[in-house]
Amino acid sequence: MATAVLAPARTRPSPLVLPATSTSLGLDWAAMTTDEPQAAPHDLVEATEEQLDAVSEERDALDEDGDASSADADLSGDADDLSGDADLTGDDDLHQDADEPEPADEKTVSEQELRALFEDQALPFMDQLYGAAMRMTRNPADASDLVQETFVKAYAAFRQFRQGTNLKAWLYRILTNTFINTYRKNQRNPYQGTIDELEDWQLGGAESVTQSVSARSAEADAIDHLPSSAVKDALQSIPEDFRMAVYFADVEGFSYQEIADIMKTPVGTVMSRLHRGRRLLRGLLADHARETGIVPDAASTATMRGRGRGATTKKAAATAGRTDGKDAR
Amino acid sequence: MSGCDCSKAKAELEELLHDELCREDAADIREHMANCEDCTSEHRVGVVLMETVKRACAETAPEQLRSEILARIRVEQATH
Repeated sequence: MATAVLAPARTRPSPLVLPATSTSLGLDWAAMTTDEPQAAPHDLVEATEEQLDAVSEERDALDEDGDASSADADLSGDADDLSGDADLTGDDDLHQDADEPEPADEKTVSEQELRALFEDQALPFMDQLYGAAMRMTRNPADASDLVQETFVKAYAAFRQFRQGTNLKAWLYRILTNTFINTYRKNQRNPYQGTIDELEDWQLGGAESVTQSVSARSAEADAIDHLPSSAVKDALQSIPEDFRMAVYFADVEGFSYQEIADIMKTPVGTVMSRLHRGRRLLRGLLADHARETGIVPDAASTATMRGRGRGATTKKAAATAGRTDGKDAR
Repeated sequence: MSGCDCSKAKAELEELLHDELCREDAADIREHMANCEDCTSEHRVGVVLMETVKRACAETAPEQLRSEILARIRVEQATH
């Protein structure tokens, strides 16, 4: 009996009819004047996550039965099988909540209006998201796929996005999530997870404290004149979590709290990643400037880098520190 | 005004750069830097590093991506 009641909720034609919160749609839109503009990112990120989990679970379920477009019929026939599926039963309460008032509310904003709004508000972030995707995936084809996937997911969840809150951070959260779920899975990085625990001396990088004023001034000029390709190469060679922290702060101008929400990590970790990432980057760029002769010799000697560790820094960056740690011992 | 020495200033330069300090702390550091060439030069490296990274990372998405995304979204809308 219970399954008979639940089945209609699952077999609704639209797999992406989104649970629970869609009932509050009318209210959200009416309350577009948010009175807490800054408080939102964290909450919305949490909400987005549940949202996206629900979406991907539905997707997975559909995929099992073949391609999504023909899945409706299959699903209604398989209602009993699906009710035994652990992933789906986790959603039960959400579906039930969504059952009654939804159809009326769904009309509050038509699909067409929603799409127009989405194209209007979200699509302008495409170049920026593509830039971040390039730093994540390192190649244009994957970056394009990642951005496209991000927009499709964002659109599917857009009904739940609270107008007036931080759309940019919301999109970057989805981008990051999608990247981790799709791409990082395929890359077995043995250093992942340990990188935050390495000591500064194991990582290497610039040691600015020992520099003279004139050396710093020369360093600033040199960095300023480096070609973009060199900067991107250097950025690409530092560990991913450091790289993205630097990207989010320096390129996108996100606050530490926003980065913490996007990367799902405490603010303290963001600060540490950012500091270390910038330190590594600075060391690599100084190396590059000196190797290519952009820095005049007088300014580059001795004070340009911390004593002693210069030679191993690149290796440290490239291998996320472990090799360097061994060498230094 | 309140004591801001080089070690305090240097420790907080990165937060200053990212606009994460409260107004008073930021003012203290700026005041310190006005009379400290050492911290000023360190801050300048930080600023230049940020600007350089920002400049290098500017990307324009391929034209084709935009049309692909618009098409995908229309399909999504139609299936709802």
